[in-house]
Amino acid sequence: MDVLLQAIAFVLQWQNLAALAGGTVYGIIIGVLPGLGPSAGMALAIPLVMTWHPATALIFMGALYKCSNYGGSLTAILVNTPGDASNAATILDGYPMCQRGMGGVALGLSATSALVGGTIGMICLIYAAPFLADFALEFGPAEYFLTAVLALSLIAAVVQGATIKGLIAAGMGLLLSTVGFDVIAGHLRYTFDWAPVEDGIPLIQALVGLFAVTQALVLAESAASISRLAELSGSFWEGVRTYFRHPLIMVRASLIGLFVGILPGVGQSSAGLLAWADAKRVSKHPETFGEGEPVGVIASETATNSCMPGDLVCTIALGLPGSVGAAVFLGVMIIFGIVPGPLVFMNQPEVIYSLFVALFLTSFLIFIIGMTVARRLAVVTLLPNNVIVPLILVVSLLGSFAIRNEMSDVFISLAFGALGYVMLKGGFTPIPLLLGLVLGEMVETNYHRALLISGGSYSIFYASVICKILILLTILSLVGPYLGPFWKTLTQGEK
Amino acid sequence: MKEKLKLTEVWFKIVLLFVFSGFYILAIPYPQESGQFPQLLAAISLILTLAALAADFLRAQVTAGEIGDVDDTELKVVDTATRNVRRRRFYQAWAILLVSTGVGYLGGFLFSTVLLFGGFGLAFGRRENLVKNMIVAVAMTVVVYFIFGRIMAVPLLNGVLW
Repeated sequence: MDVLLQAIAFVLQWQNLAALAGGTVYGIIIGVLPGLGPSAGMALAIPLVMTWHPATALIFMGALYKCSNYGGSLTAILVNTPGDASNAATILDGYPMCQRGMGGVALGLSATSALVGGTIGMICLIYAAPFLADFALEFGPAEYFLTAVLALSLIAAVVQGATIKGLIAAGMGLLLSTVGFDVIAGHLRYTFDWAPVEDGIPLIQALVGLFAVTQALVLAESAASISRLAELSGSFWEGVRTYFRHPLIMVRASLIGLFVGILPGVGQSSAGLLAWADAKRVSKHPETFGEGEPVGVIASETATNSCMPGDLVCTIALGLPGSVGAAVFLGVMIIFGIVPGPLVFMNQPEVIYSLFVALFLTSFLIFIIGMTVARRLAVVTLLPNNVIVPLILVVSLLGSFAIRNEMSDVFISLAFGALGYVMLKGGFTPIPLLLGLVLGEMVETNYHRALLISGGSYSIFYASVICKILILLTILSLVGPYLGPFWKTLTQGEK
Repeated sequence: MKEKLKLTEVWFKIVLLFVFSGFYILAIPYPQESGQFPQLLAAISLILTLAALAADFLRAQVTAGEIGDVDDTELKVVDTATRNVRRRRFYQAWAILLVSTGVGYLGGFLFSTVLLFGGFGLAFGRRENLVKNMIVAVAMTVVVYFIFGRIMAVPLLNGVLW
C-alpha cells in the first residue's frame, strides 16, 4: 500500500503529468494513422525519451501504447479502417453506426469503453498480476495452439454469417502467414525470390491494404459521403448513457479481454473479436450485430482496452510480450535497465507501480479528449468522397511506407487492397483472413513445439484438462450456429 | 429475379481452389518439417472450398443481385446502370491510384500526393468545384507534408529521380 501511495505521489509531479499527457496525445495521433501502430510510434519516440528518468520514460511509452488503441478505434469507426489489428472488431458495428449518422454515439461508446475497460483492467492488473502470471504459466504449446484455433473458429463462425466461408478466409490467412522463412527449419517458402517477403508478409502493410485501401475503393465507387444520412444524429453523451445500460456486457468483455491479454502471443486483435462474438452469441437479437449494434462496439472496445493491462502482466512479470507493441515496450524497459520478471515487483516497485498508476489515469484522459473532439471528428463522415478517399489512401500508404522505408511495402498494401476488394465482391469478409495472418506464426510454432515435446504423438493436443475444454469450445463454436435451426426443426416438425 | 447460383461467389471459390492447390503443390519440394504445415492447411482449405461450392450448387434459389455489389447497406438489388457507373468509378480510382504511385516512385511524395488529391477531385468532384478541388489538393499535400514529414519525422518517399 505504501508503494502504491508513493507511486501516486510520483506520478502527480508536473514532469510525469506532462509525460502522461504527451504520451496520450501522441499515442492517439499514432493510432489514428493506419499503418503507424504503437510499435512504430514507440520506436519513433525512443530518441525523445532517452535522457529522461526511467519511470517518466515508461509513463510516456505506456500512455502512448495504451492510447494508440483508442486512436485506432477512431478511424475504425469513422472510416472503416482499423488503425491497428486490435481495432479490427470495432469496424463490425462502429462503421455501420457512422453510416446511419450515429458517429457521435459510436465515439462516445469508444471513449467510455476505454475508460471503463481500461480502469477494470488496471485494477485487476495492480492486485492480481502475480496470480494471473501463474495461471498463464499453465499454458503450454498445445494449449496455445488450441487457443488460437478456438479464436479462429469463433471468429469464422460469427463474423462471416456462414461458418464455412469464415473458415476458408481464416485458412487463407494462415496460408499467407507461412510465406517467408519457416519458423522451425529456416527454409524459405513461397517467396519466389522476392526479398521484401522473406521475413513473412508484413502484417501492418497487409492490414492497411485489406482495410484502408479496400475501404477507399468501396467509397470511391459510391457518390456519397460515409454517412448515408448527410447529417449527424446522436451525441457523445448518448453513447456514454448507452454504454452504462449494458453492465453485463461490460463485465463479460472486460474479463474476456483480461483473460486473452494474459496469454502471451494471442493479442488484442483476438480479444476484441472474441468479445464481439460472445456478445452476439448471448444477445436476444444477434441479427442486429454487424448492422450498427451499439453492444457490438461496447464489447469489442471494452475487451481491447482491458486486454492491454493483461498483456502487460506477461510482459512485466514473465518477460513474454503478448504482442508486437508489448515487445517494443519490453525493449524500452530493458534499455532503461528495468529487467522484467517476477523479481521486478520487489527490486523496482516504484517504477512499476508508477506505470500502473499512470495507465490508470490515462483512461480518464482518453475520455476527456474523446469528449472534446468527438463531434469535430464525426464531421469527417460528411466529407465528400473526392476528399476523404485520397486522404485515407495518402495517410495509410504513408504509414505503410514509413515502417521499413521501402516502396515494396506500398505495393504489398495495394495488392492486399485488391485482394480485400475481390473478397468483398466474392462474399467473404477479410477479418478472419487478418486473424489468420496474425495468429499463423503462433499456430505453426506451437503446433511443431507440441509435437516435439510429445515425440510426434498427437495425444498431447487432448492430454490436459485445458486442452479438452478448448477442443470442446471449438467444436461448439463451429456447430453452434447450426444447432439452433436444427433443434427448431426437430421440435416444430416440417412446415 | 431468382437465380440458381451467386455467380461472383462461385467464381471466387473456383479461383480459391486453384490458389490452395498451388500452395499444396509448391510445398511438395520443401523439407518435410517446412512443408507439412502449409500442405495440411491447403488440404483442409481445399476440402472446405469444395464443400462450399457443393453447397452453392445444391442451394435451391437465391435472389439475383444479393451479392456482387460490395455496398450492401444500400439497395439489395442494384440495377445494371448503377452497377456500370460503380464499375467505371472503380476503374477510375484504380487508375488514379496506380499512376500516382508510379509518379511517387519516380518523383517522390509531393508529386504523388498532389496527383492523388487532384485526380480524385477532377474525376469524382463536381465540375463547378474544379478550382476549389485543385486548391484543396495542393493544400492537403502541404498539410500532410508538414505534419508527417516535419513535425512527426515520418520518412517520406523520395523518388528515384532525385
